[in-house]
Amino acid sequence: MSANVLHRRFERTLELAPGPFEARRRALDAFLAAGFPTRRDEAWRYTDLKPIAEGDFDVPPRELGGAVHARVRSLLDEASVGASEAAARIVLVDGRLDDTLSSLGGSPKIEIARIAPEQPVGRRGDGASHPLAMLNRAFASDGVAIRASAGAPAAGPVELFLVASGEGNIAQHPRVSIELGRNARLAVVVHCLDADADGWLNLVVDATLDEGSYLEMQRLQEHGSRFHHTSLLTAELGRDSALVAGYVDVGARIARNDIDVRLAAPGAHADLYGVFVAAPGRHVDNEIHVDHAARETRSETDFRGIADRTGRGVFRGKILVRPDAQKIDARQKSDNLLLAEQAEIDTRPELEIYADDVKCSHGATVGEIDADQMFYMRSRGLDEESARALLTFGFANRLLTRLAPERLRNRAARLVAGQLPAPPAWEGLE
Amino acid sequence: MLRIENLHVEVESKPILKGVNLRIGPGEVHAIMGPNGSGKSTLAQVLAGREEYVVTQGSALLDGKDLLAMSPEERAAAGVFLAFQYPIEIPGVNNAYLLKAAMNAQRRARGEPEVDAFEFMKLIGAKLEMMQMSRDFLHRSVNEGFSGGEKKRNEILQMLMLEPRLALLDETDSGLDVDALKVVANGINSLRSPDRSMLLVTHYERLLELVVPDHVHVLADGRIVKSGGHALARELDERGYDWVQAEAAAS
Repeated sequence: MSANVLHRRFERTLELAPGPFEARRRALDAFLAAGFPTRRDEAWRYTDLKPIAEGDFDVPPRELGGAVHARVRSLLDEASVGASEAAARIVLVDGRLDDTLSSLGGSPKIEIARIAPEQPVGRRGDGASHPLAMLNRAFASDGVAIRASAGAPAAGPVELFLVASGEGNIAQHPRVSIELGRNARLAVVVHCLDADADGWLNLVVDATLDEGSYLEMQRLQEHGSRFHHTSLLTAELGRDSALVAGYVDVGARIARNDIDVRLAAPGAHADLYGVFVAAPGRHVDNEIHVDHAARETRSETDFRGIADRTGRGVFRGKILVRPDAQKIDARQKSDNLLLAEQAEIDTRPELEIYADDVKCSHGATVGEIDADQMFYMRSRGLDEESARALLTFGFANRLLTRLAPERLRNRAARLVAGQLPAPPAWEGLE
Repeated sequence: MLRIENLHVEVESKPILKGVNLRIGPGEVHAIMGPNGSGKSTLAQVLAGREEYVVTQGSALLDGKDLLAMSPEERAAAGVFLAFQYPIEIPGVNNAYLLKAAMNAQRRARGEPEVDAFEFMKLIGAKLEMMQMSRDFLHRSVNEGFSGGEKKRNEILQMLMLEPRLALLDETDSGLDVDALKVVANGINSLRSPDRSMLLVTHYERLLELVVPDHVHVLADGRIVKSGGHALARELDERGYDWVQAEAAAS
C-alpha cells in the first residue's frame, strides 16, 4: 500500500467515524517516514512483508449485514471454550466491537470498556518503535480495555474474538489493553479467526501487571490460508507478578508475532510458550524479546515449530539482562521439526547479558523424527506413515497440553493435527 | 514356531552375531543368558526388525515365513512383540492412544475387526489390575516421566493387550525391585500358552525362578555356546560365565 493509498484509506476511516484524529495522523506520518519494514531491517530479516505491503486492503465497513452476523456467530460458537466456562465474551468483527455478539459479563472485579480510536492503549500502543504498531495506531479500529481490579479472584477466561467477516479484503487494527491491579488474577483467551477470508489482522495488545498479579493469556490463531496476521504483545510486569502466555499458530498466509516482555521489578516471572505449524505455502515468525530489567526475575521461553514442504518458520528469541539485574534466571528453548527436505525453520537465540550473577540457558534444535521412537511405534504394529504422523502430532501436543480449559486444548490439538500431512485419527488423541 | 539358522548380524560393520542357531517350539519359553556384549540384545532387536542391525548371513523363519524380509510392523502383525530393554518415551502421545492404534493396526493387517474405545477400555481394565497400574497411566504420555519399573510394567501391559505369538523380552527384569519383578513375572506367566512362545534375554537368574524356562542358552561372542534346562541357569548364577566360555574354547 503506497503512501497515497494509505492517506486515502485514512481519510475514509475518518469519514466513517468522525472525531478527533491528531494522534492518529501523527502515527500515520511516523509510519510513512519509514514505511513497511523490509528484509533489510534486522528484525524482519526472515519475514518478507511484501504480500501485506503490496496488498490493497480496504477499511472495515460501517455496518454488518444480518447474514454476516449469522456466519460470525456460528464461527464463535464453534471456537468458544463454552459460554458456561467463560467470564465474558468480547467480539470484534473486522476490528469493530460488536455489542450484539459480545456479552461483557457480570463479574464485579473485571471491567471491560471500549477504547475510542483516538485514545492510546498502554505503553507502546502509540507506536514508539514498532512499525506495525504505528500503523495500528493510525488506523485504530475499536479498542478494548480489560481491567481486573485489585484482588480480582481467578475466574473463567475472558474470551476475545477477533473475527474477519470476509466482506472484502479488509485490514483491521484492533487494540487491546489488559490491566491487572494488585494481586488480581485474570485469564484471557484470544481467538483469531475468519471464514476463509482475504484480509489482514494487525493486532496490538498491551498488558500491565501490578504487584503480585497473575495473567494467563492464550492466543489461538486459526486464520485461513489467504489471511495475514501480525500481532504485538507488550507486557510490563511489576513486583512478584507473573505472565503466562501461550501462542498457537495454525493458520494465516503470513503470521508474525512479536512478544515484548519487560520484567520491571524483582520477583516478576514470564512463562512464554508457543506451537506453530507452517503448512505448505505458509510463513510463521515468532520474535520474542524478554527484558530482565530488575534483579531476581525469571523467564522461560519454550517454542515448538513444525514446517512442511514450502512452509517456513522463524523463531528469534532475545534475552536482555540489564546491568543491575542480578540473580535472574532465564531459559529459552526452540525445538523444530522439518517434515520435508524443502521445509525451512530459522531459529536464532540471542543473549545480551550485562550482569554477572545470572543463570541463562538456551537451546535450539531443528531436526527430523527420532529413529528410536519410529522403531518403537512400528514394532507395536503402526506403519511408517501412521507412526510418523503420530510422532509429529506428539511433538506439538507436548506443549498444547498446557492449554486450558479442555475445549481450547482440544480445539488447538485438532487444528494442529489437521495441518499435518497425514493427520492421525482423532478419537482419543487429546 | 521360530527357526533361526546360522544368523550373522553386523552393527556399523562390526560383526555381533556370528552364526546363531536356535529353534523355539510352540508354547516353549527359552532364556538367553550371557555376558555383557555377547549379542543378546542384538538378537532380540534384529528379530523385531531394527534397521540398524544388518543381517549378512542366515535366516529366521516364523511359522515358516521369512521374518527377516518383513518390516517391523509386518512382524508385529505376524505376532512378534519386543519388550524393550529401554522403553522409548513418546511425549505428547498418550498410552491408551498408542496401544489402541497398535492393536487396531495389527488387527487390520490380519483382516480382523477393530476394537472400539468401549471394548478397549473393557479389555485393559483387568490387565491394568494385573500389572498393578492405575488408570491414570492410560492418559499419560507414553513412558514419559515413568520410573524404570513403571516403564517395564508398561511394556508387559502392552504385551498383554497385543497377545503376541512370539514374545521377545529384552532384559525386562533389569532395574526392578523384588515386588515389581513379581508383578512383571506374573504378567509374563499369564500369557504362557501352548501356542505362544517366548524368548527371555536376561543377565540374571532371578527372573527365571519366577518364569521357569524350558530351555536355557548361553550366548557368548555372537554364538550359542551351551544349552540346557533350568538347572543351567542356576549353575551360571553360581559359577559365572567363564567356565562356559573356557569349555567352548576347548571344544
